Amino acid sequence: MASGRDVRDMLGLPMGGDAPKAAIQKRPKLAGGSRKIQGVAREVAALYGERPPPVAVYEEKKSYRAKRQNTGPAKKWEQQAFRIAARRDDLVLRHWRRKHATAPPVQAPDDTKMEDGENTDVQVPLCAEYEKYDVQVDLPTFTDDEYDVLLRSEDWSREETEYLLQMVNDFAYRWAVIWDRYDFLPFHKLYDGGESAKGDADQALAAMPFAPSKKRTVEDLKARFYDISAKLMKHRIPEVHMDAEQYSLYEMLSKFDPVMERNRKMLATALMNRSMDEVKEEEFLLTELQRINMAAVRLDAEREELRSRLDAPTANSSVSAGLQAFTSSQSLQALFQQLFQQDRSKKRASGGGTGPGRLSLSANDMVHTPGSAQAQLSAANRRQSMASQPVAQTPVKHLSPREEHRYNVSTHERLTSGVTFGSDKLLKMRQAKSNVQTQKIATALATLGIADVIAIPTSRVGDVFETLVTKLGKLLDVRKVREKEEGECRVLQNMKEGGGSGTPRGDNMSETPKPKSEIQDTPGIDADGEDDDDNNPNFGDDDAPGEEEEEDDADGDDDGDGMEDVDAEGEDESSVQQSRATSQGVGGQSHKRSASVFSQDDESEISTKRARK
Amino acid sequence: MNIPNSSTAPAAGEYAGDEVSAIVLDPGYSSTRAGFAGEDVPKSVCPSFYGQRDTDSGLHYAFGENAIHNPQDRLDIKNYWGSDGIVEDWDVATKLWEYAITDRLTGAKATDPTKNGLNDGNTNGDSMDVDIEALENNEKPLEESPLLITEPGWNSAKAREKYIEIAMEDWGAPAFFLQKTGVLAAFASGKASGIIIDVGASHTSVTPVLDGMVLRKGVQKSPLAGNFISNQIRQIFKQSSPEIPLTPHYLVKSKTQVDAGSPAQAAYKTFANPPTDSFRFNEEERVLTEFKESVVEVWPGPGRFSNGNNEEIARNTPGRPFEMPDGWNQVFSSERFRAAEGLFDASAALTSDTSPRPKDEHTIPRLVQAAVQQVDADQRPMLLANIVVTGGSTLLYKFNERLNYEINAIYPSTRNKLIAPGSVVERKYASWIGGSILASLGSFHQLWISRKEYEEHGAGIVEKRCR
Ligand SMILES: Nc1ncnc2c1ncn2[C@@H]1O[C@H](COP(=O)(O)OP(=O)(O)OP(=O)(O)O)[C@@H](O)[C@H]1O
Ligand SMILES: [Mg+2]
Repeated sequence: MASGRDVRDMLGLPMGGDAPKAAIQKRPKLAGGSRKIQGVAREVAALYGERPPPVAVYEEKKSYRAKRQNTGPAKKWEQQAFRIAARRDDLVLRHWRRKHATAPPVQAPDDTKMEDGENTDVQVPLCAEYEKYDVQVDLPTFTDDEYDVLLRSEDWSREETEYLLQMVNDFAYRWAVIWDRYDFLPFHKLYDGGESAKGDADQALAAMPFAPSKKRTVEDLKARFYDISAKLMKHRIPEVHMDAEQYSLYEMLSKFDPVMERNRKMLATALMNRSMDEVKEEEFLLTELQRINMAAVRLDAEREELRSRLDAPTANSSVSAGLQAFTSSQSLQALFQQLFQQDRSKKRASGGGTGPGRLSLSANDMVHTPGSAQAQLSAANRRQSMASQPVAQTPVKHLSPREEHRYNVSTHERLTSGVTFGSDKLLKMRQAKSNVQTQKIATALATLGIADVIAIPTSRVGDVFETLVTKLGKLLDVRKVREKEEGECRVLQNMKEGGGSGTPRGDNMSETPKPKSEIQDTPGIDADGEDDDDNNPNFGDDDAPGEEEEEDDADGDDDGDGMEDVDAEGEDESSVQQSRATSQGVGGQSHKRSASVFSQDDESEISTKRARK
Repeated sequence: MNIPNSSTAPAAGEYAGDEVSAIVLDPGYSSTRAGFAGEDVPKSVCPSFYGQRDTDSGLHYAFGENAIHNPQDRLDIKNYWGSDGIVEDWDVATKLWEYAITDRLTGAKATDPTKNGLNDGNTNGDSMDVDIEALENNEKPLEESPLLITEPGWNSAKAREKYIEIAMEDWGAPAFFLQKTGVLAAFASGKASGIIIDVGASHTSVTPVLDGMVLRKGVQKSPLAGNFISNQIRQIFKQSSPEIPLTPHYLVKSKTQVDAGSPAQAAYKTFANPPTDSFRFNEEERVLTEFKESVVEVWPGPGRFSNGNNEEIARNTPGRPFEMPDGWNQVFSSERFRAAEGLFDASAALTSDTSPRPKDEHTIPRLVQAAVQQVDADQRPMLLANIVVTGGSTLLYKFNERLNYEINAIYPSTRNKLIAPGSVVERKYASWIGGSILASLGSFHQLWISRKEYEEHGAGIVEKRCR
């Protein structure tokens, strides 16, 4: 119905009394129809028969489009003539605007102006709505004197200079366009510009040498224009009076170097005109370069780490059992810090290599380039030769069991990663999951008279120590159980004496004394079982160290970018390479862990000079 | 004004639209497009070919689709464009344009409906000719509307002045503007800068545009476009054995179904006064356009069609059938790739005595290269990232794939991007649409050349104002 009114409005038919009547007549019809489904939906619904439709049918009325607001009778529009404020002539155009007689006082600025126009009736209203698009270009201007004193040039006539400024104005500093359209014909200009010429000898001379039109490059044009601008600027505002912005502008203008610009453009052109092969080659070389850089960074980090590892224990062993260097907790703290830093920087170095940027290529990109694979292999070799296992490359020589014993050579089923130190291993064994347990172990060991640092931790010492610690663990477990039972007994006893009520649990008590007797000969250990429950598996198990190792592995994988990076790299290399790479990472990890042990135990690690087996 | 009502105009800030019922005229070799600025398609599209009859009562012209396809004796079909892509026959051009404008746009007000040929085109062939005297006696057709005309990028200064003279003197337009098709096609795609590749009927052009201004030195054109493809198809037809008959619609009275490749069995019309050769040629052209639309395919790359075993690969793809108006039909296999290959590879073009081998520098890749070469080095990558493809002949199947391949082969190190409007209308009428956008902008009001300015400065003002 609204559209009907619109049509009427458009056709200019009078909005007679019959129009609203028609609307009123229509309304009930529509309302009646709304109950039924209309249009295609109705036919679709008919197809379903009696059964409900398999999917929900939405009525068209329920669509979420905003309803057309009824804002009263359709507004009247008319074609209004208007003038354009930005124009210097009185061009009159016509556009459609709301008719004002009926409309309320309106907001738009041009509309108010139009009302003014209507008042005077004869005048066509001015439309300033788009005046803001009439922008003028800022140009340097000069007087004749200024030109003579400052701007005279061997290469440029006054006419051409003015022509240049005109072009800059016309094309609003779009140099590419200015250069494209630049077509200065000195002769023509000389003839029709005769009246503007001042006619003095200088002028003629200045115009002389460039009579033939010469081809100017963008740089020539820019150089001239910037030169003029800079000189005029300096003339108007002496350098000392320029503010920062002005000075930087001045500097930019005066430092324009057309030769350098030209060279830069030549290079840019050359860069763009490379052939497909060159582009591919460049891409390939960039990949290579990046890969080599990454490898170098990684290698450096590894070397650094190795060096620091070698350094730290020597300091340790130089004092052999004495640990003089680490007598104080501060020095230990410092060592820990140092190791920690190295660990972090290594991660960052290898992680930073694959940062974002055009040059970054994922490892997969490199797979298909045979050269890179080769380079990777060679890099791997290098790493092998320099890094942790020089043994791997010495020829295999068989030793007799006696010699083996003598040189302390051992063979292993499976070697854990990297370099580990016996002392580390021993230290690790002292560690339980909870601090409390660790302390308990420590006190137990202390009562046994075993020093905190065992001087020469050979593998056999390690083995023995391991069995000792295992046993200790078991003992501690049992003691814990005993304490629990005892406690329960006490409670029950109390209940019996106090409440006098018997409980069936009394039966169980007969079994508890057994462990009690075993533990009795470990005196001086405080019962302090707060959170003991979680520490057992580690020490209850026979191959606890092994498990520790595996845990480390897991840690290594979870670790952030640094670790991932190593792994990703490794995927493309041979499996050997991979295992090495990951184990490298794990080595670092365990190292860190042992470092943290230092810091944790520094209080208890009071030097014991006694060399214990 | 911001009442949420569909009948209110959008706020002026949204887009600087302010329509002044300007008319946009986009003349091309194959069709002349006209319509009101602000609309999204030209209301009036009429062929640029016109009929000319030399009767006893003088020269008679026939304009419009209906008139020029009606077989009449002594009806010569001509085109007002010159071979250099600049309007040649100004008198007829003026009339034809006026017909295009008055036919559907300003209509009844401009000319007497009994005289302007609008109503008698379908009924009576003899009276369809536009009575020139009647037109001239009428009031000027464009008194109300500013006029924007499009021009090719290589238009001569003289031709440009002619445009404004026609608009001002003959049609009485209150304001006028001239803009290059390239710039407008870029506007239609929402770009102010880019390289516009326009493959029309008579000419292919490559136009570098920077901030709405044509870089003149870079403008390239070549005659390898729609008409060239038509010629190639004619030669394919001729060189195939047996020769493929090209029978236009008007010659066929009735046809019967025949097997593929077998001769047509159709009843042909006979004419007491057979139409002219130019009429037949134009009618054949319609069949060829159909053929282009439904059969011709561009080899999409990689490589040229003649390279390696590309031809072999093409032969193994399913063919496309085509039926002539007289019922002759065939499935076209690899030869359908031949027709347009010349656009990209001059050595692959079919040649004959009348159509020599095209020049290498006229192929589209070479045009693009030449155009880019003429642009300031700093702008090149930006332009290559905005390659606007327009013109009817770019609708050829797989045209864009090939173009993309060719451009990437020339400039492998830049990010090249083709912008090709998906819809046929937008591709064919891009320059008109761009004109429609431009002329309906409020910010464009100040750019019009007004009648007063024209009277003050003369026709030379176009050079100054329409850069
Ligand atoms: N679907 C199509 N496939 C191939 N070619 C087509 C198709 N539609 C039209 N053409 C061709 O496009 C040409 C017309 O294109 P367009 O309308 O862009 O030319 P124009 O602007 O009139 O000519 P010019 O730009 O040369 O002055 C004709 O040669 C026609 O055969
Ligand atoms: Mg065109």
